[in-house]
Amino acid sequence: MDRNGVEILLVEDNPTDAELTLRALKQRNLANQVLVCRDGAEAVEFFENSASPIPKVVLLDLKLPKVDGLEVLRRLKGQARTKSVPVVILTSSGEEPDIHKAYELGANSYIVKPVDFEAFARAVSDVGLYWVLLNHPPQ
Amino acid sequence: MTSSIQRKLPVFVTVLLLAVAVAQLTIGYGSVRQASRALADQRLPLATKVLADLLQIPQGRARITALARNPAIVAFLRSGGRTGREPALAAMRELTSDTATTAALELRDFGGKLLLRTGRFTIADSVLVLPAKDSARYGPLIRQDSTLFLAVTAAAGDRERAGGIVQQVGRVVFNAQTPKNLTGLAGGDISLLVGNASGDPWTDFGAIVPAPPQSVLTSRVPIRYERGGEMKRAAAAPVPGTPWMVVAEMPSRLVIAPARTYLVTMAPIAALIVIVGALVAWWGSRRLTTPLADVTRAAEAIASGDLEQHVPEGRDDELGRLARSFNTMAGQVARSHHRLEAQVAQRTEALEGTNAELESFSYSVSHDLRAPLRAIHGFARILLEDHNAKLDPEAQRLLGVIDQNTRRMGQLIDDLLAFSRLGRQGITAGPVDMKELARTIADEVRSVEAEAERKGSLEIRIDPLPVARGDRALVRQVISNLLQNAVKFSRGRDNACVEVGSRPDGGQTVYFVKDNGAGFDPRYSDKLFGVFQRLHSAEQFEGTGVGLAIVKRIVQRHGGRVWAEGQVDQGATFYFTLPGEEN
Repeated sequence: MDRNGVEILLVEDNPTDAELTLRALKQRNLANQVLVCRDGAEAVEFFENSASPIPKVVLLDLKLPKVDGLEVLRRLKGQARTKSVPVVILTSSGEEPDIHKAYELGANSYIVKPVDFEAFARAVSDVGLYWVLLNHPPQ
Repeated sequence: MTSSIQRKLPVFVTVLLLAVAVAQLTIGYGSVRQASRALADQRLPLATKVLADLLQIPQGRARITALARNPAIVAFLRSGGRTGREPALAAMRELTSDTATTAALELRDFGGKLLLRTGRFTIADSVLVLPAKDSARYGPLIRQDSTLFLAVTAAAGDRERAGGIVQQVGRVVFNAQTPKNLTGLAGGDISLLVGNASGDPWTDFGAIVPAPPQSVLTSRVPIRYERGGEMKRAAAAPVPGTPWMVVAEMPSRLVIAPARTYLVTMAPIAALIVIVGALVAWWGSRRLTTPLADVTRAAEAIASGDLEQHVPEGRDDELGRLARSFNTMAGQVARSHHRLEAQVAQRTEALEGTNAELESFSYSVSHDLRAPLRAIHGFARILLEDHNAKLDPEAQRLLGVIDQNTRRMGQLIDDLLAFSRLGRQGITAGPVDMKELARTIADEVRSVEAEAERKGSLEIRIDPLPVARGDRALVRQVISNLLQNAVKFSRGRDNACVEVGSRPDGGQTVYFVKDNGAGFDPRYSDKLFGVFQRLHSAEQFEGTGVGLAIVKRIVQRHGGRVWAEGQVDQGATFYFTLPGEEN
């Protein structure tokens, strides 16, 4: 995987969810420059390494091994280099406290993963399309 | 105003004292009055007797008796009036000049013929009284203008052979001091009068006075009459040997004066006793009721939740014992209350812990169930999309079954999540306009049904509904679930009619949603509100069986009640109450 050309950083511990996500992105030709982190610690390590490229969007699950999603979000938004990176929470939890906490920490969007595959695929590809192709991040 | 012993007791005592005082005064006054009257009735006859005795003292008669025995008079009479006229006249003149009060002196024979006469006063024959044999005799009182005269006769000379009558007319000397002296003699307040028994004139020795009424002169006991504008009490007695009577008279007001004095003296004392009694009763009742009021106040405070109340225990009597017992009881109540509170807190904590565990369990189960489900659904879809060509129709059908069931399971999990979320969600109560809410939901349901191209007509009727109090979002879900159910189970009917209404019931409002749809077997009505409990197959009516469980949970969390009535094919009615409702 080409680390320099990372457009989407997917933080997801569930391999099947990761595979389904990648498949949805692939259908829109967005899967070429995706980096997948399997847990929170890996994601934090990636961001805190100044050599890492800045992705156009981060798709972040909340329930993660080692370091949980909200903590990853807090650290990401806490450092100057990465704080303007858009973060989309992509999780199974639609609970109010989680949503509140995420927005409080600076999440840009919050999406509850639908069980229905078509709906799930549509959501993921729409998110990718919007943030990678339509959105203009600060230079 | 509440009834109070503290007020009643002094009033009762005061009224009692007042009654006793009035009775005492009335009876006392009556007794004294009666005694005074009895005393007066004893004194009045006594006074008449004293005066009558006084008037019998024979001083006034001595002179005339002496004159009657004068030898010159005797001689003159013996001569039959022929000789000795001058010496007889001289003897008579001597008496006339001697006595300044003697107005006239006459000498008559037994036939009444006037023989000699001195003085200017003429005595009418009618006044003449025949004297007793050896003594002088008083005649009636005679009045001329404002002067009163008195005739005394005595037998003169030798009665057997030649005698006559000497008659002296004396002026009664009035002295302004005399009535007072007589009054003093009779004992203070009694006036004494003398007069002719036959009537006028009468005198009190100070002046001529009007005659007392005849009734008193004939009565043998003291009587009452009015004279000179004043009530009098009087007794009369004859003066023996004279034609006079004596009357002792006393103003009635003086008779009963002691009774008045009694009243004037005793009334202030009685008033003082009543006032002092009232004050003592007031003070006593305060002393008695203040500790009771303390106990009552403390008991009320304890009843309203302040368990640290105590009452003063200073006294050593029954009230003191009451206060001590009360404090002991209050202490026990407080201790048991605290113990109970601690227990409740402990249990609540344990229960909350268990509850939280349960909630977090169902929450994570719901979540963790979704990921594999998504994988099953996702990969089944991928198989269908990417490898469709390699699959025979049966394989495709089987994958379709997997697809359908995973969708259904997804719905179940979502509903279960919603249901479990209800247990943790706080309730923000406020006024809820039930009619407006029901109308909005009805509009939504109608448009969904229209989109689904529903067969048969559908009428949703919203009655006027009272405003309720509750969490608007949750109450909305109750109405929404019930209304959706009603519409769903009346689907396929020609004249489907759903009614949202209310009726008052024992001070609270019962809301209901009624339909004329499929209804249910009342034997299973207790299963309606269980989670995942369904009375119809999924082919008949879609749904997961969580809707009514959610309704029940929301209504219960509002402290309300929910129940249903229905018959198969005759519709169903779902009732619920929201006790926090506004008036």
